[in-house]
Amino acid sequence: MIKQSKQVLIAEDDTFLTNIMGKVFKQHGIRVVLVNNGQEALEALKREVPDVLLLDLLMPVLDGFGVMKAMKEKHVQCPIVVVSNVGDKVTRDKCKAFHVKAYLVKSDMDDDALWPAIEKYLK
Amino acid sequence: MSKKTTISASDNMALKLKFLAKEKEAVRRKLVVTAKKLAIKAKALAVTAKEKESVRRRLVVTAKKLAMLYQTLERKVIDRTQDLEQAKAKDEAILSSIGDGVFAIDTKGTLILFNAAASGISGYSKREASGKPFHKVLRFMMEDKPNVASHDFIEQALKGKKAKMANHTILLRKDGTTVPVDDAATPIFGPDKKIIGAVVVFRDVSKECAVDRAKTEFVSLASHQLRSPLTSIRWILSTLKREKLTEEQRTMVSTAHEASIGMAAMIKKMLMISYVEEGGVAPEIVQVDLPRLLDKVSLLHDSHRQKKGVELTVQCPEDLHVRTDEQLLIEILSNLLSNAYKYTPKGGKVSVCATKEGEKIRIAVSDTGCGIPFAEQRKIPGKFFRASNITSPAESGTGIGLYMVYNIARLIGGTISFVSQENKGTTFSLLFPS
Repeated sequence: MIKQSKQVLIAEDDTFLTNIMGKVFKQHGIRVVLVNNGQEALEALKREVPDVLLLDLLMPVLDGFGVMKAMKEKHVQCPIVVVSNVGDKVTRDKCKAFHVKAYLVKSDMDDDALWPAIEKYLK
Repeated sequence: MSKKTTISASDNMALKLKFLAKEKEAVRRKLVVTAKKLAIKAKALAVTAKEKESVRRRLVVTAKKLAMLYQTLERKVIDRTQDLEQAKAKDEAILSSIGDGVFAIDTKGTLILFNAAASGISGYSKREASGKPFHKVLRFMMEDKPNVASHDFIEQALKGKKAKMANHTILLRKDGTTVPVDDAATPIFGPDKKIIGAVVVFRDVSKECAVDRAKTEFVSLASHQLRSPLTSIRWILSTLKREKLTEEQRTMVSTAHEASIGMAAMIKKMLMISYVEEGGVAPEIVQVDLPRLLDKVSLLHDSHRQKKGVELTVQCPEDLHVRTDEQLLIEILSNLLSNAYKYTPKGGKVSVCATKEGEKIRIAVSDTGCGIPFAEQRKIPGKFFRASNITSPAESGTGIGLYMVYNIARLIGGTISFVSQENKGTTFSLLFPS
């Protein structure tokens, strides 16, 4: 199967935010897969490895760290950008250990700042 | 013939008598001389005896004085010994009543003092500890490296420097369990200013650690709970701003959007302060291209600057590279710049100027603003300080930014200073190692 266009997987439990985020990427012709928890993210990863994974940390069922741990164990590789409202250094350092590409704090940015921050992983 | 013979016999006798008399006279004379000599000697002896008597008397007096002195001395020694014993007992009582563990070592590291609290915390009795090398009894370690002794602070003290224990130090107790401890080691100097040992004070900080953990968790959770709905508000408003709106609607949405941005910045600052105060922020030192960094910084709060019509100039020598924490440096300058814009009237000037001062770098942020009243300058950098001459309701502030600036500056080994004149302007300077 030939990959049609770039894909972004967005794992975020707040459906309102996933919709806004999805809209941002769709505007740029990127295929968007939206999931609302870590478990769903792992299932989506099984189906297709995206070009970038936007990952929230605090999610029901399985949190962001659970997703990153499972990906590491299963050797699933794709650029991960954490998009969370937890911004402390301990959490950031924990994410660094999983080689995340970037760490964005949602409340410190506008929705339209997402594209400039993620664009480079989709080229 | 016979008469002649008789005469001659008597003559002989007379001669003999004469001779005897002469001899006697000679003896008498000798005796007189001897008697005279004896008399002189006797005189001399009499003088010596007198002298001796006087010396004897003097000796007796001196001996009496000495005896008295000795008695006084003995009494003084007894008193002093009692004083010393009392003082020692007092010192020991104080030492054992100190809630913190205290122990002292000599230059070889042998324990020469070990108080009750030190026993209580470590589990070793005074008898078990005294006279032993301290590292055989007390083992300080880092929380994340529980197999490696961490005695740097004690070695520093033995070199003459007061040294604090590193954050997250734990002590291995006699029963094999560990306890989080904190405090410091101080050198002990002898009368000739030579180091004769070190005294270490340590205390059990398990309760503080638990409180810290709870506080961090609370702050983290609270900030997340505040940030989540704020994100929704901010993103909705940001989306709305791009829609077709009437002028009135646009103003309302923009105001609300800016308020949400301000609120997000506030939460970020509160969190930052909380982490800085806890010592939770460790600087990440990297090579920083200062002119590029200042270019970046000059774009911060640019809409605020344009709105106020404030002119910004940036001066920095090309190729000025420093080794520091980039994010923390940006945080400091961002706050100073934001304050400069805030308190400078329309049409004013703000400048950022970086210079090299020996091994250090100075970055000065100057404005032509309202200044800080002289009487209030000593209140800086108090938390929530706001100068009384800020009357414009448009310039909201909480007095937390500057407090944070001072704290962050300390983290990168820098200091903040300022000069300010009311109605003329203010210059805040950051001086930090390059």
